[in-house]
Amino acid sequence: MEYQTVRTTCTYCGTGCGVLLEVLDGEVIGTLPQKDHPINEGKLCIKGWNAHEFIYADGRLTKPLIRKGDKLEEASWDEALQYVAKRFLELKEKYGPDSLGCFSSAKCTNEENYLLQKIFRAVIGTNNVDHCARL
Amino acid sequence: MAETEKGFEPKIIAFCCNWCSYAGADLAGSMRLKYPANVLPIRVMCSGRISPHFILKAFQRGADGVLVTGCHYGDCHYIKGNYITKRRVTIMKDLLKFVGIDPRRLRADWIAASEGDKFAKVATEFTEEIRALGPSPLRG
Amino acid sequence: MENLKKNIKDMLESGEIAGFLGLIEEEGHPIPFLFTKDSLDKLDALTVPDIRYPMTDILLKIVRKYPEDTIGVMVRGCDDRALIELAKNQKILSDLIRPIGVACTKEMAEYCRCSQPYPREIHYGEKVEGVKDRSDLEKVESMDLSDRLDYWMGQFSKCIKCYGCRNICSMCFCDQCTLEDDTLILTGQAPPEIPIFHLIRAFHMAGRCIDCGLCEEACPAHIPLRSLYRKVREDMADYLGYVTGMDETERDPLEFLGSDGYEVPTKIDET
Repeated sequence: MEYQTVRTTCTYCGTGCGVLLEVLDGEVIGTLPQKDHPINEGKLCIKGWNAHEFIYADGRLTKPLIRKGDKLEEASWDEALQYVAKRFLELKEKYGPDSLGCFSSAKCTNEENYLLQKIFRAVIGTNNVDHCARL
Repeated sequence: MAETEKGFEPKIIAFCCNWCSYAGADLAGSMRLKYPANVLPIRVMCSGRISPHFILKAFQRGADGVLVTGCHYGDCHYIKGNYITKRRVTIMKDLLKFVGIDPRRLRADWIAASEGDKFAKVATEFTEEIRALGPSPLRG
Repeated sequence: MENLKKNIKDMLESGEIAGFLGLIEEEGHPIPFLFTKDSLDKLDALTVPDIRYPMTDILLKIVRKYPEDTIGVMVRGCDDRALIELAKNQKILSDLIRPIGVACTKEMAEYCRCSQPYPREIHYGEKVEGVKDRSDLEKVESMDLSDRLDYWMGQFSKCIKCYGCRNICSMCFCDQCTLEDDTLILTGQAPPEIPIFHLIRAFHMAGRCIDCGLCEEACPAHIPLRSLYRKVREDMADYLGYVTGMDETERDPLEFLGSDGYEVPTKIDET
């Protein structure tokens, strides 16, 4: 019998609500709002209240996949990132930088989002930058 | 559909228990008694089956009044269902009043299978009362 | 506080309880934690803070997995009332729960407008008298019907349908929730249908709500939900003489008729 709550930040958006993940015998079973958190003051939205649900979701991606032919195959991070970098360079060379674009995510931190737009604007050279909050 | 040329026509949902009130409504028909067509009966097995949520749903969907009818005390086919109904309706009326819905829009009455005339009378009375109150404020 | 820690330690070591659900202070933040024989060292961090977590709600999650173990739990007056109601509804067995009672301070009692800020048995803190304050109800009652409806519809329209009021509620233990039942209510869309969404919950709280106020604290839209539930709680007392969280042997008169006559409330036709 082991129950504890783990203080963390909700991953769903940039607000940064404090949540407590309830862990019973090593399994995450629920989310509680952190009562003394300065951002959400013990309140959550429906996404926050269910922030634990995707952890064990069947469809959750835990490893990078690369499409080979008509199949998605598991790959290592190194392999996947090398592949992405290679294809970006090829496509930029062949069709120009505006053939590329990026979608970032509200689930990332501000800093991560900044870096993603930076790499697309400064390194690749396109303004095709967007994020999931407009989907 | 509410506004006719003559004015406001109330829409009333009547929940009737299978054993007494619905039979009472049937008898009213057999006796050729007239009661307003504004009353739309819904048959349930017992007035105790009428979840308070049904009443709320009727109001949400634009009913101007809700009539809950069951057997007289002691006559309930399931012995005591109507006592529970009475309690629920009491609390519900006060809750409705608290949120600003006229509690007169909800009425509970006991009608036996032999009381076709009482059904017609209650239906007529209630329709007139609701007509006087005007359309439900929750009507879209 | 040292007595409290020793008390809990003794109960855990002797095997009287398999776990104790309390709060620990972690980097200045109080969070719920279950002490067991293996985590006695954590007792140093035991705390009784000024904030409340739904202790009985958490307890229920543990009890569902370990129905045969005896568990201790830190309870305030509200949690204790919740325990009584949970036992009535056969969600816990009182014999298997060891409540360790904490009396709330005057400040907390006033903040919560709590009528009974102390549990049945007090192990920590000084008992202070409850606050009798129905100004929130009086505010609504002073309005006429159409103003009341405007007021409530205005409040309800702020709802973002987070289900926080239900999720944090100590009394929301049903396996299936009416608020997710698409035959009674429009599901899968926000904002919710009003007023039915809030009224269904309000009526369901009749004979159930223990007036802890966690719902209102958890509401991101600041809807005065507690007034609704206090109203039905008051009605249950006025019409049916029933107050939740008092006596484990009493039964909810909306669910049970009882054996000594089925007195019917007389005020029914008053408007």
